[in-house]
Amino acid sequence: MSQPSQSKQMLYFAAAFGAGGLLSLMVLFNGTLAAYGSLFFASWIPHLTGTVAALLFLLVLRPKRADTARPPLWVYLGGVSGAVTVMLTSATLNSALALSGTIALGLAGQMVFSLFADMRGLFGLPQRTPVGRDFIALTLIIAGSLILIFYGSGS
Amino acid sequence: MIWFASLAILAGVLISLSRQINGRLALSTSAMESSFWNHLVGLVFITVVALLIGGLFAGEPSASPWWAYLGGPIGVIFIAAGSWLIARIGAAQTALLIIAGQMISGVVLDVVMGAPGDLWARTIGVGLILAGMWAAQGRTS
Repeated sequence: MSQPSQSKQMLYFAAAFGAGGLLSLMVLFNGTLAAYGSLFFASWIPHLTGTVAALLFLLVLRPKRADTARPPLWVYLGGVSGAVTVMLTSATLNSALALSGTIALGLAGQMVFSLFADMRGLFGLPQRTPVGRDFIALTLIIAGSLILIFYGSGS
Repeated sequence: MIWFASLAILAGVLISLSRQINGRLALSTSAMESSFWNHLVGLVFITVVALLIGGLFAGEPSASPWWAYLGGPIGVIFIAAGSWLIARIGAAQTALLIIAGQMISGVVLDVVMGAPGDLWARTIGVGLILAGMWAAQGRTS
């Protein structure tokens, strides 16, 4: 796969790593909502406040549109897929899988499908073939994550 | 058990699918606009399903602390970042680095909040993840 220049690559890495940190905060905040209200509520509220926040960001930042041509309608359906995810995990959390099993199997599904999508260039995104180094990184990060998921927390 | 395991795997697939579709929308518009549509369409979808099934306001939702409502605005930045990154470093690397960031920040949050945990498991886990990130970026050309 073609690699961006090193300084750009560091920027992308930092952004992705930072996004992971934001995800931890989201899990904490939305989990707190779920502790008081229903699981629907814990997903409905962040989507509601998120819609308002995104609208404000758009009004303030006014990002340039990349393309004047209208994209196909299916590209607007990413939110449905994300919302279904919340419902699926709320079902598996209460099964024998519990939180750790749900996260671990979710990581597996996410990585396998991401690799497949990259290799095929699905949905009009750039095609890229993973190389040996990518699989070493994948093995190390997933191994570390599984250790944290299953042995890292005291419960 | 197999049934729930399949659902958990499917949930992971859908996370990646959602990021790819949003990334494709960002290619035509912008990362922030794709995040807006992700939240609006998701909101409509959840509202419809919650109205059909009921129980949206069950429990004591009004008792939750104010800061718990901050998940929405944070999610906007999270989705925008994913949409921006996926076209640049690919779905697998985006997912892998987000997982790395989530896992390590999770350990930091646990330590800060005093959650019990095994020191050795935390050290080895974080060490492996850092080594993996080093391996991912180590390609010099």
